[in-house]
Amino acid sequence: MRPLSRTALRPYVCPSCQLGRLPARRRFASHTPSSGSPPEIYDVVCVGGGPAGLGLLAALRASPATSTLKVALVETQDLAKARSWSSDAQHFSNRVSSLTPSSVSFLKKIGAWDHLDTSRAQPYQEMQVWDGETGSRISFDWSMETSPFEDLRTVATMTENTNLVRALLSRIAASGDDNLSLFSNTTVSSIVNGTDTPDGPDLSAWPVLSLSPTGSASSQPPTRIAARLLVGADGINSPVRRFADISTDGWDYNRHGIVATLSLADLDPVPFPLGTKTAYQRFLPSLGGPIALLPLPNNHATLVWSTTVENAAYLKSLSPKAFLAMVNAAFRLSMTDLEYMLRMERPATAVSDVEDAHENELTWRLEHTPQPSHLPPIVSGVQEGTVAAFPLRFRHATSYVSPRVALVGDAAHVIHPLAGQGLNLGMGDVASLAETITYAVNHGMDVGDLLTLERYAGDRYATNAKIGAACDVLHKLYNVPGNGPVAWARSLGLEVIDRVPFVKGLLMKNAQG
Amino acid sequence: MPPRPTIHPLRTLRTLALPLQTRTHTTSTTPSTSVSASELSHFSALANSWWDPQGPSRALHLMNPLRHDFIAGCLAEFDPIRSVPSTPSPRSSPENNPLRYLDIGCGGGIFAESLARTIPSTRSAERTRTRAASITAIDPSKTLVKIARDHARLDPGVEAHLRSGRFEYRNCSLEELIAGQSATITTTEAGASSTKDGRYDMVTLFEVIEHIDNIPGGISPQTFLTNCLRMVKPGGWLIGSTIARTFPSWLVNQVIAEAPWPIGVVPKGTHEWSKFVNPGELEGWVQEGLMRGEDGVVSRGGTRAVEKASWRCEGVVYFPGVGWRLVKGSETWGNYFWAVKKGE
Repeated sequence: MRPLSRTALRPYVCPSCQLGRLPARRRFASHTPSSGSPPEIYDVVCVGGGPAGLGLLAALRASPATSTLKVALVETQDLAKARSWSSDAQHFSNRVSSLTPSSVSFLKKIGAWDHLDTSRAQPYQEMQVWDGETGSRISFDWSMETSPFEDLRTVATMTENTNLVRALLSRIAASGDDNLSLFSNTTVSSIVNGTDTPDGPDLSAWPVLSLSPTGSASSQPPTRIAARLLVGADGINSPVRRFADISTDGWDYNRHGIVATLSLADLDPVPFPLGTKTAYQRFLPSLGGPIALLPLPNNHATLVWSTTVENAAYLKSLSPKAFLAMVNAAFRLSMTDLEYMLRMERPATAVSDVEDAHENELTWRLEHTPQPSHLPPIVSGVQEGTVAAFPLRFRHATSYVSPRVALVGDAAHVIHPLAGQGLNLGMGDVASLAETITYAVNHGMDVGDLLTLERYAGDRYATNAKIGAACDVLHKLYNVPGNGPVAWARSLGLEVIDRVPFVKGLLMKNAQG
Repeated sequence: MPPRPTIHPLRTLRTLALPLQTRTHTTSTTPSTSVSASELSHFSALANSWWDPQGPSRALHLMNPLRHDFIAGCLAEFDPIRSVPSTPSPRSSPENNPLRYLDIGCGGGIFAESLARTIPSTRSAERTRTRAASITAIDPSKTLVKIARDHARLDPGVEAHLRSGRFEYRNCSLEELIAGQSATITTTEAGASSTKDGRYDMVTLFEVIEHIDNIPGGISPQTFLTNCLRMVKPGGWLIGSTIARTFPSWLVNQVIAEAPWPIGVVPKGTHEWSKFVNPGELEGWVQEGLMRGEDGVVSRGGTRAVEKASWRCEGVVYFPGVGWRLVKGSETWGNYFWAVKKGE
C-alpha cells in the first residue's frame, strides 16, 4: 500500500518539489565512501542472510523468469559455517520458529523443503490455549474439521532457524553460481546514491553499496555494487531502511521472552489419534504474558515465556532444577502461587543438592491446586546453555518501499511472539516480493521501480498490520490481572470463540497464515 | 484547444533539449502529416511528469503490463517467425527471440522502454514472452523523445540496448519514417539480419489512433492505419489500443476520468470523445488498409489479403483500487486492445 499521506497530499505538492522530494537525502554511511571505478551492477541486492533474505534469494533462483537476474546477498556472519551446521538428535537450538502451512508450502514450492532435515522438524495438529486467571480455554483442534479419512491438518511445524537457514543455503547452492554473488563475512559500510556517467548510464537514483570484510581494518578499497532493487532483510535496526529514510512506528512492550530447549518426562498420555502433537499456551495476566511449550522431536520441546523484565531476570538466574520447577508451575499453579514463587529467595551459591526450594514448593502447592485436563507433560530437563532472553517489541515501518528499495521481515515489522507469526510474516513478504519481481520481469517492468514495488507493498502492508495488531490486542487484553470485568469479558470472548465454529474457523485459518 | 500556460520545469527542459537531429529527409515538406498540432502541444506540456508513477500518466503506466499480456496472446495465436520444427533449436539460441518491433507514437517511452527491457542482453538467450530482438520507437514530439531517451539512461540494461542499436528512439512522424526509409534503407547492427525492406514483425500503436485528426482531403485515421499496415511484414502483427466512441466511454473518459482531483485520473484535455474509434470502424479501416496494399491503391489481390488476415479485439476496464483488467466483451464500453495479423 502506498502511504496514504502521499496520495492525499498529491495535489498540494508541486510536481517539481515532488520529484525532488524522493531521492533527496538518501544516504547511510559509517565511513566516507570512496568512489573510483564504476560499481558492479546487480538486479537484486539483499542485505541480510537470515531466513527472509535467503528465502527471497532461493525463490528468485527457483523461478525460471527470475533465475537469470543477477543477484547478490550481503551477510555479516559466516555463511559457510551456517551451511555446515549440524547437531545430534538429542540437542536442539533455542531459536525455533513455528512455520505455518503456507510458509511450508512456499518452501516446498521453491524447492527448499527437500533440503531441510525434517527429522529435526516437528509438526503439531492441536493447540491448547487457556487463561491462567479464569481458566477459560480454546482448543485449536483440526480433527473436528477434517474427515476421518484425511490426514490431520497441521497447525504449524516447529523448525530450528539454523536448520531452515542451512536448507535455504543448500537450495541456493544447488541453483549453481551463475549471476549469483554471496558476500559472506561482509558488512555494508555505506549506501549512497550512484552518479551520472556522461557516456554511460545515469545511476544517480541507484543505491550503491560499499562492502568491506567484517572486522578487518580495510586496507584495500571496498567492493562497490549498485542495486536495481535493494532489499532490506537486515532486521530491526535495518541500515537499508535508514538509507531509504523510512521511519517506523512502535513501542517496547517492556517484556522479555525467555526461550529454552527442554526435555519432557515420558508422562505424555498416549495421544489420540496416535502421533498427534499438541502445543500448549497459558496466559498469565499477572506475570506479564503467556508461557508456551511447543513440541520438538524425540520428546523435546521449546519454551517461549513472555514476562516482565524483572521476572525474566529472576528466571534466568535460577538453577536448572528451580527453572524447571517454575516452568511446570507456570502451567499448573494459580497466579498468586506463581507470584509468591517468583519472589522466593535464591540460594546464594549453586547448591547441587537433591533438594530444591522451588521444586519443594511446587510439589506442596500442586497438592492443593485442582488440575484441569489437557495439561502439557512435565518438563524434566533443560539443555545446557539454551536459556536466553530477548526484548519484546512492536515495530512497523511507515512504508515497505521507496524507489529501488524494499523492506522484508523484521526490517519492515517486529511483532509480539505470542502467536508465533514473526517468521511467517517474513516468509509471506518474500513470497509476495518474489512473485512481484516475477510479474515485473514478465511484463518488461523495472524491478526497482515504484510501480513494481507498490504491488508488493499493497499485497503485504494491510495483512501484516492486521496480524501485528491482533497480537498486540491479545497481549494487552491478557495483561489485565485479577477477576475484574476485563477478565470476565476475556473468558466470555474465549468461550464465544470456542462455541461458534465460524469465528473459530476464521481465527484458526488466520493463525495458519 | 486554448493554449496551455507554460509550466516552469518544461521551459528548462526545452532549453536543455538537444539540437535538432539531422534527418535524411528533412527537406521534403510533406503536406500530409498525421500529427495534430494541438495534440502535440498538449502531450509536450505533460512531459515533465510523464514518468512520475503518481503523476498524470499513472493510468497509462498501470495499463502497460496488460499490453504485454495482449501481445503474448497474439503471439500464442500466431507466431510471425516460427522456428523450423525439423531442427530443434537449443534452449538458448538467437532464434528464440527474433522479432523486430516498431512502436509508433511512443510518447515518453512507457511501452517502448518496457519492451526494450525484454530484449535479451546476450544474443543467445532463453525465449522471452515478447520474443523481441529489437525495437524502434518513433514520436513526432521532440520534447517527449528527449524525455524518453533521458529516462532510458536510468536503466543500464536499456541504455546498453540504446548503444548497441537494438533499441532506438527516432524523433519523427510515421510519414517521415516511411519517406526516410524509401530514400536510404539504413540497417542497424541489430536489424542487419532481418529483411532489408524496412518492415517489422510487430508494429504497435498504443493509444495513438484516437489522437489523429481527420483532415478532409488530407490525412485521416484510415490513411494513417494504411501506412501502419505497410510497415508490417507478411505474417506480422499490427497491435494497438484505443477507446470506443460510445455513451459509457463518454461518461468514463470525458466526465469521470478528466474530472478534477480526486476523481479524475487523466489530465483535462487528454481525450476528445469525438475522435474515439469504435471497434467496427477500426476493423473497417484495417480491411480497407489491407486492400490498398503496398502502393496505397486498391489492388486486385486486396480481397485475398483481407481474407488471410485475422482480427483480435479485447476490452479492458479500469477498476478503481484494483487497476486494469482484460474483460471479454467490454470492447464497446471504452478502452480496448485490437490486433490484426497480416496474411503471409
